[in-house]
Amino acid sequence: MSTQKKPLSDKARAVGERIGSLRDFLEFLEENGQCITWTDEILPEPDVRNIAVAAGRDSMNGPAVIFNNITGYPGKKLVLGVHGSFTNLALLLGHPKGTTIKELFYDIISRWGDDKPLLDFIEPDAAPVNENRLSDNFNLYDLLPLYRINEYDGGFYIGKANVVSRDPRDPDNFGKQNVGIYRIQVQAPGEFTLLSVPAHDMGRHIMAAEQDNVPLKIAVMLGNHPAMCMFAATPVGYDESEFSYASQMMGSPLRLTKSNNGMDILADSEMVIEAELMNGVRSFEGPFGEFPGSYSGVRKIPRFKVTAISHRNDPIFENIYIGRGWTEHDTLIGLNTSAPIYAQLTKDFPEVVAVNALYQHGLTGIISVKNRFAGFAKSVAMRALGTPHGTMYLKNLIMVDDDVDPFDLNEVMWALSTRTRAEDTIVIPNMPMIPIDPAAEIAGKGHRLIIDATSFMPPDKLGSDSKIVTPPAGPEIDEIAKLIQLLQNGGQS
Amino acid sequence: MNTCPRCQAAEEKIRAEHKGLNAQGELVWTIFHCNACEFTWRDSEPASTIDYNKREAFFRVDPEKPYPVIMPPAQYK
Ligand SMILES: [Zn+2]
Repeated sequence: MSTQKKPLSDKARAVGERIGSLRDFLEFLEENGQCITWTDEILPEPDVRNIAVAAGRDSMNGPAVIFNNITGYPGKKLVLGVHGSFTNLALLLGHPKGTTIKELFYDIISRWGDDKPLLDFIEPDAAPVNENRLSDNFNLYDLLPLYRINEYDGGFYIGKANVVSRDPRDPDNFGKQNVGIYRIQVQAPGEFTLLSVPAHDMGRHIMAAEQDNVPLKIAVMLGNHPAMCMFAATPVGYDESEFSYASQMMGSPLRLTKSNNGMDILADSEMVIEAELMNGVRSFEGPFGEFPGSYSGVRKIPRFKVTAISHRNDPIFENIYIGRGWTEHDTLIGLNTSAPIYAQLTKDFPEVVAVNALYQHGLTGIISVKNRFAGFAKSVAMRALGTPHGTMYLKNLIMVDDDVDPFDLNEVMWALSTRTRAEDTIVIPNMPMIPIDPAAEIAGKGHRLIIDATSFMPPDKLGSDSKIVTPPAGPEIDEIAKLIQLLQNGGQS
Repeated sequence: MNTCPRCQAAEEKIRAEHKGLNAQGELVWTIFHCNACEFTWRDSEPASTIDYNKREAFFRVDPEKPYPVIMPPAQYK
């Protein structure tokens, strides 16, 4: 897929050239006051969770937080919140602090595509990720400062890994090689479960491998180039490469190399865990505090065993806080969820101005559109429900005029207050829905809502019940939030 | 006796996974794993996570009960 491109600014080009890895980006964030280091000794639980939630409160300007003094993990580094604020994303794209979400949306749209990939392939021996290599006696509990993300999670999760797998029926196809973020629960020192479903690319690979009884090898990349994470979480076409999208967005080459088990991997990642599906094995997994803000329950899911681990010297473990929003998950995927819906809609309806699908992976979407005639916005809403992401996710749609910034909720509320007739509210019963939506009638099925909050045109004559993740709250977290602000401003309040 | 905080499996079902040491090499915590329900925990966690009686009952697991299987495998091993 490709959209109209405009040349990158000099600043954007310079940032793209400078940032080749997570480390480069952390340094850049730090220079810009968007990355702090937590040097006080903390316990893995509940301290990491408490600090992550407090730091994540400011979705516009919150910093990334590096932890380097976690009890029981001397010398180990953990980073959270790398994609935790829109300012961090703005810096990645070469914009100044204070860039609005709408400006970022249009910039990402202008860079969207995979037709001009910029990929450099380097020899494995020259790749920083191979500075250290383990081939047996794996212990993920020792290599990574693992911890429980939410208090009732079933175990210790790796929530931000970019997992590479190849289609076992077409293993040489670069485009069908998939890079995705799948939640990983460590189940033993050298084994983990990985959650995918048949609709995901990874799920297709797992089912094909088991049906044909052939090995499924994967590479789990940790601590990656920040653009990679954004596209690993983006639903692109099955035969489109996430590597290509990520490099094209940065306008600068991504360095790839080959893992020992045959995957293309980022040469500059912090760690790559090579693993193999344990064919036919299913293990208890979950609960896990998920992006709708509730726990997904216990299930039996596929299990993998580690076959090799490569890592840089002093690897940094990058993870994510996810749970009841706003969280880093929302910032990480929000604009990349919105962009393809916009691209698909504007093919048929150039009147669409912008799409805001930031909320809970697009469970609520706000679309701004220039009405061509009375009722036109409702037709556009129906089309949105038929886009690939809309089919499962766009549950509540609010349609606003082209004079309303869908990313500015004050403006959206104004449109709702002044331009909505109760009759312009449509409920479509018994539609498909994501299984983890706590508002589903039954898991996987529920109702859709369209609110037409656009203004009137001629011929118009008129002008549940589920378990909620409880993030840490209260005076203690308020104090942490204040301290974070202080650290961010170099000690000046 | 060390039983599973989630399913109350007996001690023989519990695996000690990893011992966390401080910079001086002293033991500061231990990670355990339950072979019956696959729960993993660290003995330094708050009681609300690792004490069976203080955990919300909603989150208890009975390994004998059927749980949904994601992508039922082509052949079980
Ligand atoms: Zn148990």
